[in-house]
Amino acid sequence: MEWFNHILLGFQVTFQPVNFLFCAIGVIVGTLIGVLPGIGPTATMALLLPVTFKVGTTSSLIMLTGILYGAMYGGSTTSILVNIPGEAASIVTCLDGYQMARQGRAGPALGIAAWGSFIAGTISVIGLMFIANPLAKAALSFGPAEYFSLMCTGLIFVTYLGQASVLKTMMMALVGILIGNVGIDLITGQPRFTLGIEELWDGVGIIPVVMGLFGLTEVFDNIEKSLAKNEIYQTRVKNLWPSLKDWAESKWAIARGALIGFFIGILPGGSATLSSFMSYAIEKKVSKHPERFGKGAIEGVAGPESANNATSGGSLIPLLSLGIPPNVTMAILFSALIIHGITPGPLFIKDHPDVFWGLIASMYLGNVLLLVLNLPLIGLWVQVLKVPYRILFPLITLFCLIGAYSVNASGADLILMTFFGVMGYLMRKFKYEAPALVLGFVLGPMIERSLRQALLISDGSFMIFINRPISGVTLGIAFLLLLSNIVPHIKKRRQKYEEFKE
Amino acid sequence: MYDRWSSLFWLALSVTVFIESIRLGIGTPRSPGMGFIALGASGLLGILSLALFIKTMMRGEEAKESLFAGKLWYRVVSVACAILVYAWVMPVAGYLITTFLFMTFLYWVVGGQKWWWVVISSFLTTIASNYLFSLLNCQFPAGFLGF
Repeated sequence: MEWFNHILLGFQVTFQPVNFLFCAIGVIVGTLIGVLPGIGPTATMALLLPVTFKVGTTSSLIMLTGILYGAMYGGSTTSILVNIPGEAASIVTCLDGYQMARQGRAGPALGIAAWGSFIAGTISVIGLMFIANPLAKAALSFGPAEYFSLMCTGLIFVTYLGQASVLKTMMMALVGILIGNVGIDLITGQPRFTLGIEELWDGVGIIPVVMGLFGLTEVFDNIEKSLAKNEIYQTRVKNLWPSLKDWAESKWAIARGALIGFFIGILPGGSATLSSFMSYAIEKKVSKHPERFGKGAIEGVAGPESANNATSGGSLIPLLSLGIPPNVTMAILFSALIIHGITPGPLFIKDHPDVFWGLIASMYLGNVLLLVLNLPLIGLWVQVLKVPYRILFPLITLFCLIGAYSVNASGADLILMTFFGVMGYLMRKFKYEAPALVLGFVLGPMIERSLRQALLISDGSFMIFINRPISGVTLGIAFLLLLSNIVPHIKKRRQKYEEFKE
Repeated sequence: MYDRWSSLFWLALSVTVFIESIRLGIGTPRSPGMGFIALGASGLLGILSLALFIKTMMRGEEAKESLFAGKLWYRVVSVACAILVYAWVMPVAGYLITTFLFMTFLYWVVGGQKWWWVVISSFLTTIASNYLFSLLNCQFPAGFLGF
């Protein structure tokens, strides 16, 4: 019954007018940016982070999380109606969603996307509720060595699950660690890697980095193409409630999508994009009629849309119970908690039960709000889509500027943001992954602190990372992951060599 | 071809950071210095960059079409420069004037809108953003004209 009391406390917190209001703002803003191509949840969360300085911790977290899962809902609308994914996580929805719209079945496609998201979102919140607390209790026995190993393994997972080359993703994680090193050293109090620039003494802020790499880069990427008007498929959106046949075809896709999304979310580097692609691949594989996929199969919409929504709940687990952000959006939430004077980690749930359970209850509420708001408002979102990008991009750019400036009221942050914007633009051209860099940047200082503390404890012996069971096992997993990346390359080379010899 | 150049860039960066880490002091395992982790990270980055470079050399990549071919890259350059000028001028000239000029630039030069539409939109955007973000407790510089 303990959990029942907790969730009751959560609902008491969530139903406070201010928290309710921020939950509604979060999911509406999230849906809006999900609908709009050109700005994603990561940049929006970073943009709104300074706004939360004067707001309570719980309200801030509720709003920022609402943006995240709201964007997953909104992204499907553009994929289905325009064949343009509002979010990377909705790319795969285009394949069957748009085909359904062309066949006059836009309504059931949008309906099943919304219902699938709602069901999967709820399942993932239940999972979060039951896993986060025991994990946090177990994590109380973790020391610096365990944390160091966990974070290193996390970074290796990121490279493993990344979409670009493993080598390049690993390089970006290391570049992120180096950028995280800029600023005053916490132990000696001396500045390092600041290039003599006083503004860098406090280090590089996460807001300019994220706004640059995700907000400005997106703008740059879009304006280098001709700013053509989006073509919206002219169809009347009707019958939003899926038929019994649609439900029968989608029910297992939703269930599988929810599980895939939830577990991918827990993994470091696991993203909503990855889970939606994985769900699509699995649905196609288990289907008796795989040839229907890409031609308007409803399971091709239900599975990925459920998976990308369930990822949000899963990815909160490592953040809230271990204090380790598994992906970029969680890194923003991590920063929000730090700004509000709360250190996420094993003691978070025990010390701030109102924040944790309030957040969980808000996700239940947010999922209901999204369902209630989104289906009747689909017409409005379609109108939003008609705003041309040449009008949108100056507004997005201005919001990025204000977001970066308002943290420290410093022009230097704008210059930093531009630097990262250009860097992100070039990284896209050369196919380097920005999320790995941001995760390295956020985890870098934590990795350094854990490493130095662990070495101080062990009197300089690196064996502490192997002798301690949890740390040793975690590093072992990391080693196996690395090996699984390298072995196929060696095999391939060997095969080529044998062929050449023959 | 592009991977070859980018790997050389990261290699140069890693060497620079590696040297700087040694200068900062890496300490000992018993008492790690402030260049300790940077040394490790830059060393690894150097090795991986070198691996990427060797990989591209062995692959014998052909020169492909430019990454910027057929793209309106000058728009990216002009917007990036405009933001830098904005960052420089705003603390001196104030939020309202600078933002109005900046939005005019974006709407007109890059967006290609009619002049009267540009003026009205820039004005409204500036006023609305100032009002909205002031409500959210964001402080903007007033500038030498006092607004």
